[in-house]
Amino acid sequence: MIVLKTSDNETFTVERDVAERSVLIKNMLDDIGENSEQAIPLPNVNSSVLKKVLEYCEHHRGEPLPAADADTSQDDTRKRTTDISEWDQKFITVDQEMLFEIILAANYLDIKSLLDVGCKTVANMIKGKTPEEIRKLFNIVNDFTPEEEAQIKKENEWAEDR
Amino acid sequence: MDKFKTLEPLKLYSTPASASPIRKGTVAPQFVGKLPSDLHLLILSYLPVPDFPAYACCSHATAALAESERIWETRWKSLKMDNKRLVSVLDDLEEHLRGRAAESRAAAPPTITVDDEFGDFASVDVPPDEMGDFVGAFQNPTTPVTASLWTNNLKSTSTFRAQYIRAHNLLKPLTKTLSSTPHIILNDLAAAVTRSLRLEASTLRLLFLFLSQTIQPVRKWREYKAALRSAMDRFDANLLAAFDNADGKGDEDSMREAAESSWLVWDGASSDWEMGKVWAEKRGIFYDQPWDPLANFTKDRHLAFDAMDDFMSIVLKAISEHGSRAVRVFPAEAGVLISFSERVASDVVGEYISAVLTRAREISVDVFLKATAASFREAWKMVDTIITAGRESTFRTQAEDVVFRMFEPNMDEYLDEEIEAIKPAFEVICKGWDRQASERHNNSSDASARFLTSNNPSQVKRNVLASFTNVLLLPVTIVPRTVGAVGGALVSGGTAVGGAAAQGIAMLNPQRWGGAGGSGWGTPNVPEGYRKHGEGDEMMFEIGTDEDDEEEEKDKNELWNEKEDQVDLAPPPSAVPLSAGTLHTASTSLDQMDQMDTLLSLDVALELVHTSRESLKRLEIFAAYPERIGDRVRDTIEEVFILMLQALGDGHVKPGFSSATARMTSYKPAEHEETTNVAPLLQFFELVHIGDTIQSMVQVYFDKEMAPHIDKTDFLNSVVREKKRFENSLDDSVAGGLNAGTEVLMNQVEHIILRFTAPREYYPPENAALDLKPTKGCIEAIKCLEMHCKLMKGSTSKEVLEVFHQEVGIRLIAILQKHIKRQIISLSGGFQVIADLNAYHTFITSLKVPSITADFAHLKMLGHVYVVEDAKDLAQIVRDVTRYGGAYRPEDIYEFIQRRSDWKKIEKTVDKTMYNLSFKEDCIIC
Repeated sequence: MIVLKTSDNETFTVERDVAERSVLIKNMLDDIGENSEQAIPLPNVNSSVLKKVLEYCEHHRGEPLPAADADTSQDDTRKRTTDISEWDQKFITVDQEMLFEIILAANYLDIKSLLDVGCKTVANMIKGKTPEEIRKLFNIVNDFTPEEEAQIKKENEWAEDR
Repeated sequence: MDKFKTLEPLKLYSTPASASPIRKGTVAPQFVGKLPSDLHLLILSYLPVPDFPAYACCSHATAALAESERIWETRWKSLKMDNKRLVSVLDDLEEHLRGRAAESRAAAPPTITVDDEFGDFASVDVPPDEMGDFVGAFQNPTTPVTASLWTNNLKSTSTFRAQYIRAHNLLKPLTKTLSSTPHIILNDLAAAVTRSLRLEASTLRLLFLFLSQTIQPVRKWREYKAALRSAMDRFDANLLAAFDNADGKGDEDSMREAAESSWLVWDGASSDWEMGKVWAEKRGIFYDQPWDPLANFTKDRHLAFDAMDDFMSIVLKAISEHGSRAVRVFPAEAGVLISFSERVASDVVGEYISAVLTRAREISVDVFLKATAASFREAWKMVDTIITAGRESTFRTQAEDVVFRMFEPNMDEYLDEEIEAIKPAFEVICKGWDRQASERHNNSSDASARFLTSNNPSQVKRNVLASFTNVLLLPVTIVPRTVGAVGGALVSGGTAVGGAAAQGIAMLNPQRWGGAGGSGWGTPNVPEGYRKHGEGDEMMFEIGTDEDDEEEEKDKNELWNEKEDQVDLAPPPSAVPLSAGTLHTASTSLDQMDQMDTLLSLDVALELVHTSRESLKRLEIFAAYPERIGDRVRDTIEEVFILMLQALGDGHVKPGFSSATARMTSYKPAEHEETTNVAPLLQFFELVHIGDTIQSMVQVYFDKEMAPHIDKTDFLNSVVREKKRFENSLDDSVAGGLNAGTEVLMNQVEHIILRFTAPREYYPPENAALDLKPTKGCIEAIKCLEMHCKLMKGSTSKEVLEVFHQEVGIRLIAILQKHIKRQIISLSGGFQVIADLNAYHTFITSLKVPSITADFAHLKMLGHVYVVEDAKDLAQIVRDVTRYGGAYRPEDIYEFIQRRSDWKKIEKTVDKTMYNLSFKEDCIIC
């Protein structure tokens, strides 16, 4: 069993194979060896998010992890599909705030499949939105002058589907 | 935490994102909104293209991200632009657009209706300035030369994004037509490019790649893709018809064009490639099948694979004819040759073979096994043909796999059968021998000591082994064919293999050599199969051994005659069957003894080796099989060898030796007239020779046939272990037999001595003349011993021989001592004793075993006690322990001198001198 400690000082005890869905934790465990009495600190993750993430890990335990060198050939190896499985779909149906938290945590903990699910969900959210809506989604400030915005719009006109 | 340093979107900054003056100086922040920029990129990789403008318009940072090369590289690459043909589509599309733009501009003033067919495209055919800055080519479409220059420049230097945009702009207009029905789609697309099947196919393929999950170029890409798919299917159907037409006319160019186009539109996922399949299916070989698998069986249910030869040549012709056309016509990646070959293999050859095997199975297991190996060998011919047909494009392993896969269903059964069949085969051989041996027990007298009678047993053995090696090198005919054999020794199909080899082996049989002088050649004992083809090919194996044979035969003839004289003691052989039941015991047992060497037979060993070799050779054909079946084949090969050893060891050698030993033990010397040789022992020695030869044969067989399949040095290997076990059991049998044999021999010697020693041999009448030669008993005993000791030479190891000799010596001493103590010896008889002892000593010395030579020297000294006249001197001699080298104590000697005829007279004096006392004088009681 592995003890995980969140940023708000809560501890979670999980089975090793669940925790090892996270490549970060897996590498840590490989490094420090078996004496896992100590709680592993996860300063970037709070308890509510970790709870959610562990739920995901629990469900996907035992599935093969993506190859370690997937980064280099990322685009080839990753199953390129925008489809999300039913369970994942349900799992990821959370408020925007939580969605981004999960994505960040998945990124930090290095859980590729969860990260993909999150990003696909965000991509789906962007679909058909206006720039203003997207800004709101990402909490981005518009730093364009009207002229600049017009030029960007024109430059990207080719992509529009009219 | 170290690893998360990589989160920084390093790549972002290195890209020429600052091409636009707006972004100059702006450094994208690590976080864009709520997420780090690399996560934005990840999201963008899932974002459909039409959503990019909105995303880019959010801020400077998102605009920069939307131009990130990483995203566009993926999309560009998914168009598979490394394929030259697809690149040419883009160029062609561009050309057409430009041409049409010029056309429409030229045509525009007079009338607006240019051509309705171009309607859809016309909408894209907007004035060039609307296409955006980056498609610069459209700004001056009327100057194609500079335009193409520009395009080339763009292609080599530009970013993935720019390349993608070009493709996007060229391909997107085509998608517009995809909402219509398939044939309109095809028409429209055909109009967009230069009319050529290949180009149309490439366009379809490119569009198909374009409308993908990875790119998502338009919102309705899924619907479009489905429409495109059906259009492609329709296109493919047209191609099929065109191909078929071209095929009918034999027009390979058109065929190739259609095939390549069809290959392009094939999506590579669902099922097989239709065109290749259809083409292969139409080959005549699958329909026109004039052959009859059952023609491989002759009327007398043997195999004659001539029919299969013909069949295979048809198949091979088909493969090389159609296969090479397939290679010319179809694209190499499609692997039509291999799939066609596979089809031929499974549908034609496989069917044929299974028909043959089913029939073979009905006939017998043996025929089945032969047929399996033979048909595999036949089918294997396909490999070379496929490779030849495929030229460089086909790998050997691929071609081999075709045959392996085709044949695999037969393998399990075959391997099981091979083992199952060889067990009873071995058993039959051993049993058959036992039966023959017991039959011969009744009606034979041709037993001659073949090894023993020759001058040089080891020479004979070498000859046997040399011919055996030759036989091993004899190729086993796997594919049975009808052969007209030379010299009228006609062997029909199936038996050709067995016949020839067995024939060769038959020539090895020493019985042949010995038999030539006697009745052996014609006796009913000669195994049928061996005799059958005997006359025809006799020359085969005699070349090497001719001279020896003749000499030996001469020797043998002499010996044979001697032998026959001896045998005459028994009733004449021809009379035996008639009076078998009434024969008196003596002659029966003599017969039995004569049969001893037939307990073990080189014939049987050869037959066993031959049988196992035949199946080994069959198995070897399959040795190249990969993976599981290959392992099984190798296991089976080992098992066949092990079974052979077991059959030979447990089924033949061991029982042979043990019954020989049993017979020896039951031998009663008193029942036999014969003295110089102990018949069972003689035969046993012959047996040892045969056993030794068999072992050498096994060794040769192992070296020649098994060594390539196993690691000889691996002492854990089951074959090596089994071979060791066989050798050990043979050694044990020899040792056990020798033990019993020594017993018998010494019994015989004792018997001889008892029988030939006259009552007063050592107490001759006073007046008899002393000739001082050894007594008759002594001479006979030594003759007997000498003969047997000599026989052993060359049959076993030196150590065994020494032990044997030593044992003989030790027991002989005991016998002699006992014998002397039984006699009454006078002074003159004493000289006789000395003469005898000298003779024994000379014999023992000739054995060259130091320990017993010394013992006999001491025994010789013992003789002196019988010739000393004076009692006091005698006592001195008796007391002188050193005279006898410590072998005898005075007490022992004392016992011997008691056998003197004058003992009563000298006893007192001797006692007195020896012990300084006299019972008569000192004993108070007396």
